[in-house]
Formats: sequence, C-alpha cells, structure tokens
Amino acid sequence: MRNVVLVLTVAVTVSAVLVLAQNPAAYRAPRTADGKPNLNGIWQAFGDANWDIEPHAAAAAPLALTGAIGATPPGLGIVEGGTIPYLPQAAAKKAENYKNRQTLDPEAKCYLPGVPRATYMPQPFQIVQSQKTILMTYQYAGAVRTIYMEDPGPAPADFWMGWSVGRWEGETLVVDVTSLNDQTWFDRAGNFHSDALHVIERYTRTGPDHLLYEATIEDPKTFSRPWKISMPLYRRIEKNAQLMEFKCVEFSEELLYGRLRKPVAQ
Amino acid sequence: MTIRGIGLITVLAAIALAPAASVTAVAQNKAWTAPRTPDGKPDLQGIWSYATITPLERPAEFAGKEFLSEQEAADYEKRRLQEMNMDRRDGTAQADVTRAYNDFWWDRGTKVVSTRRTSLVVDPPDGRIPPLTEEARTRTAARAEERRRSGRGPTDGPEDRPLGERCIMFGSGGAPMLPGAYNNNFQLVQTPDQVAIVIEMIHDARIVPLDARPPLPKNVRQYHGDSRGHWEGDTLVVVTTNFTDKTNFRGSSENLRLTERFTRVAEDTLLYRFTVEDPSSFPRPWTVEIPMWRSREPIYEYACHEGNSSIAGVLAGARAEEKAAAGAGR
Repeated sequence: MRNVVLVLTVAVTVSAVLVLAQNPAAYRAPRTADGKPNLNGIWQAFGDANWDIEPHAAAAAPLALTGAIGATPPGLGIVEGGTIPYLPQAAAKKAENYKNRQTLDPEAKCYLPGVPRATYMPQPFQIVQSQKTILMTYQYAGAVRTIYMEDPGPAPADFWMGWSVGRWEGETLVVDVTSLNDQTWFDRAGNFHSDALHVIERYTRTGPDHLLYEATIEDPKTFSRPWKISMPLYRRIEKNAQLMEFKCVEFSEELLYGRLRKPVAQ
Repeated sequence: MTIRGIGLITVLAAIALAPAASVTAVAQNKAWTAPRTPDGKPDLQGIWSYATITPLERPAEFAGKEFLSEQEAADYEKRRLQEMNMDRRDGTAQADVTRAYNDFWWDRGTKVVSTRRTSLVVDPPDGRIPPLTEEARTRTAARAEERRRSGRGPTDGPEDRPLGERCIMFGSGGAPMLPGAYNNNFQLVQTPDQVAIVIEMIHDARIVPLDARPPLPKNVRQYHGDSRGHWEGDTLVVVTTNFTDKTNFRGSSENLRLTERFTRVAEDTLLYRFTVEDPSSFPRPWTVEIPMWRSREPIYEYACHEGNSSIAGVLAGARAEEKAAAGAGR
C-alpha cells in the first residue's frame, strides 16, 4: 500500500513538473544574427536519468567491489506518466538487460550513446549553432552529430547517433531523428529500443541558463504507444567551461578484451 | 597577416582557380574576398576535403624541385595510382597479403594538390621534416629500452597495440590534419565566439574558443591537445598545446605547440597551413600546407571502436599461436 502511495506521489509530482515545463513560451530567447533563438552554449542535465529514466529507488552497484561509488542514486525519472509502455516481450528483455547491465550497457563499452541518451549523460554537451548547420557535440566518447537545417534527404545508412533534421517552431528547435541503430540504450538500467526508433526532440530556452529538453519516442517493435520524456538542461556558467576529452575506449578495453590478454607467467 | 602571406595566398588562389594564371587572373583574385558571416568574419564554413596523393615529404626524385608542371603532375598521378592500386593481384604472395585491404576501402584521393607542389611540407624549403633532435632520439631509445625490460610483446594486451588500431586516434585526424587512407574530410562550423572543427576520422570535434582564455592547466593533457583560436586578418589561427606524451605527432613530445591557419582563398578552396614547434624534438619549426577543396558530400559517422573486431582478432590470434607453440614444445 505504501508503494502505491509512493508511486502515485511520484506520478503526480512528475506530471506537475511536466505541466509547468510544457508552457515554456513565456520566455523569449536572445537571437542569433539570423533571428533564431540562440541555443549556443555548454549544457548539462543534472539528475539521475542516465541511471534509470523511470522512477527508481537507490540500488547497489552491479559490481560490489566498486562500493558505494558504483551505486545507483535514486530519482523520479523523466518519463511522462512514470513508466515506459513496453510490449510484453520487450519488458522481459529489459529485465534481462538490467540483470546483465554491468557487461551489456553500451556505455560500459564506451560505445556512442545514441539519441536521446547522449543528452542526459552525466557529462556536458555543447551546441554550436550556425545558420545551415547545428552541431551537437558531447563530451562523452567525443560523440557528435549534425542537425541539418536544410533537409539532406534520406539517410544512407543507420548510425549510432542517427540522422537528424531540424526546423524551428517559434521558440523551439525541433529535431527529427531517424536511422538510429538498435545497439544503444536509454540508460544504465537496460531500457532499450529497436532499429525502428524514431525520436522527435524539442529544445526550448526557458531562461538565460535553462533549456527544456523534450523528446517523443516511437518504436512500434518495442513499445505499445509513443511516449515522452522531459527534463531541464542547465547551462554550465563557469567562465572557463569547455568540453574536455573523454576518450573512453581505453577505459573499456579490460571489459572488452581482458579475457584475451596474455596470461601472466607463473 | 604578413605581406609575404598575402602574396602567397594570392598566388595560390590564382593557381587554384586558373592553372595558366595570367596577370589579369592574378589581379582579379586580389579583389576576391571571402563571403562573411553575420558578424563580419570570413565564412570558412562547410565540409572540406584534404584527400590528395601529394606526399607529406618531397620524394628523392623531386629533390630541388618545388613545383610540378601540369604534364608532370598528370604523369605522377597516373604512376602513383598504378603503384598504390590495391586491387592488383600481381607480384609475390606477400605483396598480395599487403593488398588484402583492397581499393574499395581506400579513399585517399587521386590528385596532387592544386598548387602542384611536390610535397606538403613547404618549410624547410627542401620539403623534408627536419631530423629529430638528439634529445628526441634519446627519448625514443629510452622508451624502447623500457619496453624491452618490461618484457611485454606487441600482442600481450590491447594497450600494446597502436592508437589507430585501438580506435583512440589516427595520425591523419589530428590535430593537425593530414591526408590518410580514408575519411579525409572535416567540417568547420562558426559562431561569433567559437569555431568547431569536426574531423570525420573517429568523429572528433575540437571546439575552439575565440575569447583569448588561457589554455588548460599544464597537468591536463589531451590526445588532441587543447585549442585556442583568434583571427589574424582573414585568417583563422588555432594554437594547440597540452598534448599527451602518447600523441607523438611525427616524433614530437608533449611540448608540441601546433599553430594551424585556415584561410579561404577562393570559393571552393580553404588553404590550410600548420606549423610544428617543439624544440625538444625538432631543431627548427616546420610547416605544412594543404589547399583543401570543398566536398559535396556530408560527413558520415565513423564508429570505429564500435565496429572494431581487429583488437579481439589480433589478441585471440596471438593466444592461439602461443597455445600451438606450447603444444609443439611439449
């Protein structure tokens, strides 16, 4: 019973946040030279979405030896309505992913994070906005994607970071992301998708140092209906803020290739 | 920009636009100025290719010769393409194995640079990288000795493999950029206070602040260094320091100071020059020049690490060989 109350409270809280968040047009963003809302800057999500985008209590680390450092911090999640509408088989796969997350999570392997996960990893990303092209560059793994503001036509292949075509809707940059592969996850909890994933992102300035990030997730092979995530992003306002190098390949090699090392001579 | 620089660029632009440059053509190019961004800076944006078969250093056959004639360039291109053709199946079995990565995988261009220079190195004037200093040679020898003493072989573990094979960085991606086997493209995006340099070779993006802030603290080192930019006239100048001692560009140390210059000299030509300064490795600075040309294709995602089967294959192969050798010795 207590759990039901908790879930309800969480759901009500999340809904309230979303309602507030969905009326961002009150703020008019500073403009770039061509009159578009200026999204330039270094942004970061603060929260726990990368551990689990659904509401979750704290949990022990998958590897006990990492101690409390590897534990999952609790969080209210970023999914509108609280839960992801998995199809039955997909729900089973998610549970399996969670069990094996230490070795299966693409982040552990330093793989490109995909969309939307790149946005709320616990590292900053930078928007570099010019007229024809907007770059999204992420500190994690040096991931980068181009938002084409002039439609380049269909994608020639599937990509880890997808194929992004953008347009302005008033104050909001809307990005249509297709051609994503089925290798990325939504978080460290094993939430996943297929290659039928279609993400529609919305970036809206809600203040001098805040950006509202919303995304609609469609994937009929995995989910029973489209669903939404939403969260604020914060500007890194430090004077010396800059993206730094997080080339994590080196950090993943023991996990990926350790079993192939030459055995140490006795 | 120096007077010498302006003269050089004008000449280059003339060559790029009109191989048989007449006095009129040169005069016209003096009048050419790069289109501007809304904040009045030269617009260098777009996707630029640095694919070329011009060698980094001047080959012995062109000693003392700075430029090729049109006919010489055409002959050279024809000959080199034939020599480098990986689809050939003549020669020894060993030659055949080295061509296993066949022409389908290579995309290094088919042309010499538009200036028809015989090398990408333009300074020193002999077109050759200055020989490493005594200090650099000692450093390399000490490393080799340390490695020998550690008893590690080249296939003991992933960290014994080259950075490129591990998909950490390629020598062609830089900084600086140099033509390599494929993905010789980069994208430049400008805002009033930042410039992004996105290299196709392992999707590396250097974001260069233009606000004269100091570089990262000395103890913070990065494979691609740390870049700061400013404008000198119509030239974007990017200075990069804070390299790691593993970056090792052409034998350089972590003290490498790299200065890149980007100048748009014609509608579809971006002149790229970089100067390598590292007194602990080279007795004098040296400079490379590549006239880049506008690519009509987008940059694609090079998910190198994600598709890397080589490391696992190489290590598994080495373990299998050891096992077989142990079996034979029993």
